[in-house]
Amino acid sequence: MTRFVLRRVLQSAVVLLGVTLVVFLLLQLVPGDPVRVALGTRFDPQTYEALRSRAGLDQPLPVQYASYLGHALTGDLGVSFRTGQPVSRIVLERLPATLSLAVTAVLFALLVAFPLGIVAAVRSGSAVDHAARVFSQFGVSVPDFWMGIMGIILFAGVLGWLPPSGYVALTEDPGRWASHVALPAVTVGLVTASILTRFIRSSVLEVLSADYVRTAEAKGLRNRVVILRHVLRNALIPVVTVVAVQLASLLGGVIVIEVLFAWPGIGRLTFDAVQARDYPVLQGAVLLVAALFLLVNLLVDILYARLDPRITVK
Amino acid sequence: MSRNKLGVIGAALTLTVGVLSGCTGGEAVDVGDGGGAKGAGGVLNAAIGGEPDQLDPHKTSAYYSFQVLENVYDTLVEPDADLKMVPSLATKWTTSADQLTWTFTLRDGATFSDGSPLTSEDVVYSYERIIKQKLNTAYKFATVKSVTGPDPATVVVTLSAPTPNLLANLGGFKGVAIVEKANVESGKVKTAPVGSGPFKVAGYTSGDSIKLVRNDAYWGDKPKLDGVTFTFVKDPTVALQNLRSGQVQWTDNLPPQQVKSLRDGDDPVVRSAPSTDYWYVALNEARKPFDNPEVRRAIGYALDREAITKAAKFGLATVNQTAIPRNSAFFYDYAPYSHDPAKAKQMLGQAGVGNLTMDLMVTSEYPETVTAAQVIAAQLKDVGITVKIRTLDFAQWLDEQAKGKFDGFMLGWLGNVDPDEFYYAQHHSGGTFNFHKYANPAVDKLLDTARTETDQNARKQAYEQAAKQIVDDASYLYLYNPDVVQGWSKKVSGYDVRSDRAIRFRSVALGK
Repeated sequence: MTRFVLRRVLQSAVVLLGVTLVVFLLLQLVPGDPVRVALGTRFDPQTYEALRSRAGLDQPLPVQYASYLGHALTGDLGVSFRTGQPVSRIVLERLPATLSLAVTAVLFALLVAFPLGIVAAVRSGSAVDHAARVFSQFGVSVPDFWMGIMGIILFAGVLGWLPPSGYVALTEDPGRWASHVALPAVTVGLVTASILTRFIRSSVLEVLSADYVRTAEAKGLRNRVVILRHVLRNALIPVVTVVAVQLASLLGGVIVIEVLFAWPGIGRLTFDAVQARDYPVLQGAVLLVAALFLLVNLLVDILYARLDPRITVK
Repeated sequence: MSRNKLGVIGAALTLTVGVLSGCTGGEAVDVGDGGGAKGAGGVLNAAIGGEPDQLDPHKTSAYYSFQVLENVYDTLVEPDADLKMVPSLATKWTTSADQLTWTFTLRDGATFSDGSPLTSEDVVYSYERIIKQKLNTAYKFATVKSVTGPDPATVVVTLSAPTPNLLANLGGFKGVAIVEKANVESGKVKTAPVGSGPFKVAGYTSGDSIKLVRNDAYWGDKPKLDGVTFTFVKDPTVALQNLRSGQVQWTDNLPPQQVKSLRDGDDPVVRSAPSTDYWYVALNEARKPFDNPEVRRAIGYALDREAITKAAKFGLATVNQTAIPRNSAFFYDYAPYSHDPAKAKQMLGQAGVGNLTMDLMVTSEYPETVTAAQVIAAQLKDVGITVKIRTLDFAQWLDEQAKGKFDGFMLGWLGNVDPDEFYYAQHHSGGTFNFHKYANPAVDKLLDTARTETDQNARKQAYEQAAKQIVDDASYLYLYNPDVVQGWSKKVSGYDVRSDRAIRFRSVALGK
């Protein structure tokens, strides 16, 4: 087990290194000059050159990358072109907002998808099954920003139950945090729930037709016991992966939703950094997201090895 | 996500919002936790469309920063509601007979918000910082030879040439604010700036909001508000919902298509004023056939400015064929280009131009350019010109502009006070914003003399001649001056929309 974990950690480190290189190279291909953006319409060649050299953009590319990597290894991700603030701090500051939104959204999705998916599978072909399918189709195909706007207009505008946008830290005021997170989390969660519902339904269906379930039924076990003890446990294993992947991708920030709801998370940060061509911040954000993704995958692999003894290290 | 995809989503969003806006009730809903009144004055919540990049007034160029900084910093002089320069940190000033030495007397008792006195040393430090480090507003000090402070209450500015617009340069906006040396050197100026203005920065949550509280040491009339919180809300529909629900009491981020109906109601209060910004089309004079003034003029006749303005600004603008808006003292009434497609066609024929295809570069950063381009393309099609619209994000747009990779582009020039700012950088052959390569020695001469002309009448005349020549040469095809549109709760009193887009909350009060 230890060897398995160590090997996976090492793999992750190599992947992260690759991410920095790929992101760095891709950024060179993105058209648009960060210095021009910083100056806006007020262009002056002298100011331009001064800003450019201050940002280190007049150095050759390999020098820029080597210096970036060297600093990154010591935990220094550079400073933002725009604000001059350390990137590591900027990125970490945005993490709690994204984390709280992602976790709430996934919890909401699980609450919806589990009962719906299981009932749809067990009563396959029934009205509930059809309803679940319509729900999934709706959630996957309707754009989330549109649902977000509908939510704002309904719950903030017409009913006045929730604030239209904004963020309050959980640590600052849990009540107000909850009222602010509700709309964006449900908006994001509905999409995740649609995906999960489908997945749970098919996973449960598959297990239902397995030999050991037929055996259990033949033994005369009650339906409820069969489903809870035999079906669910086995159907859950692949579901864990899907939930983890969903969570990890939400941790990367839900760009459109964060921008729409004025939610100060990683997604909004990424959006602003792209617009301003703020390369250091963009690199930092991508690096953090990649690291989180790898971490979640690592945890899933370990959990998997635990859940299913057949998955062992060769 | 690709730019095109974003563009499509943006268009879909705009459409959805447009359709939905018709059916949202105008009823105000109070959810209780808005306002956040703690003292008698209360805290005003203002929603702005984006986040300041940083709060160092000399280094930022973002309008979002200046919306906040307007309330935090002072300049030597400042524009009043009519954009006339009036005393601020300097109470009076004298000019030497040769116009080369300006002596300013500083206000007695002005301090920074941390309590330290503001003296001539701070003014000298601030100006030298801008000049020596070539910061964004360095161009405003082009004729400044030296700045000295012979005593704590006196600042002497020595010039290399007479500069009649010096006051506008030193006080036109907060990019030339007086900063505190210690605050700059500690690096805190970026997030926790110390100014001498009516409010001071109390907190900055990245991505979310900036909190200002009243500066009790302010030299002027004390603000009535306890503070102002600026939150960053990108989507105008969401900003409007915030205003209606009482979470926010002021915003300048309103869905343009709804402004007309909002203006008719009394809560929220929505007001507009003509701005000093202008929007225009420039044609690349380094490329054929746009080097021929006849061709540019023909395009001038092909444009229907009323239709463009209606589509791009929902009528929230005044059509104009020169740069300077109607309400300015320097307005020059000259509009030779009537909408006349037949004439345009004939002129193009005489210039030997047939079946012309051109690209028009616009940017999603300013959606009005995208909408306007579609109307322009339709209008030019009527005279036989095929327009290919290129919608780029702003970073790429600026890049292509700098490299001269365009046939034509549309953009605005924002926040001007003095006529020099309307014309020099764009139309002087050595101007820093002359990316369309316009060069007319007569205009160069006029702009150079007008810059240093101290007789106001002669100066006005020189700018009128320059403006006429620029319009006749179709260096820019001016389209319109947009309105500044802002909305606030009817609990807010004492606020006025300003044509220079300065957001001043110093005299605002918040009722219950």
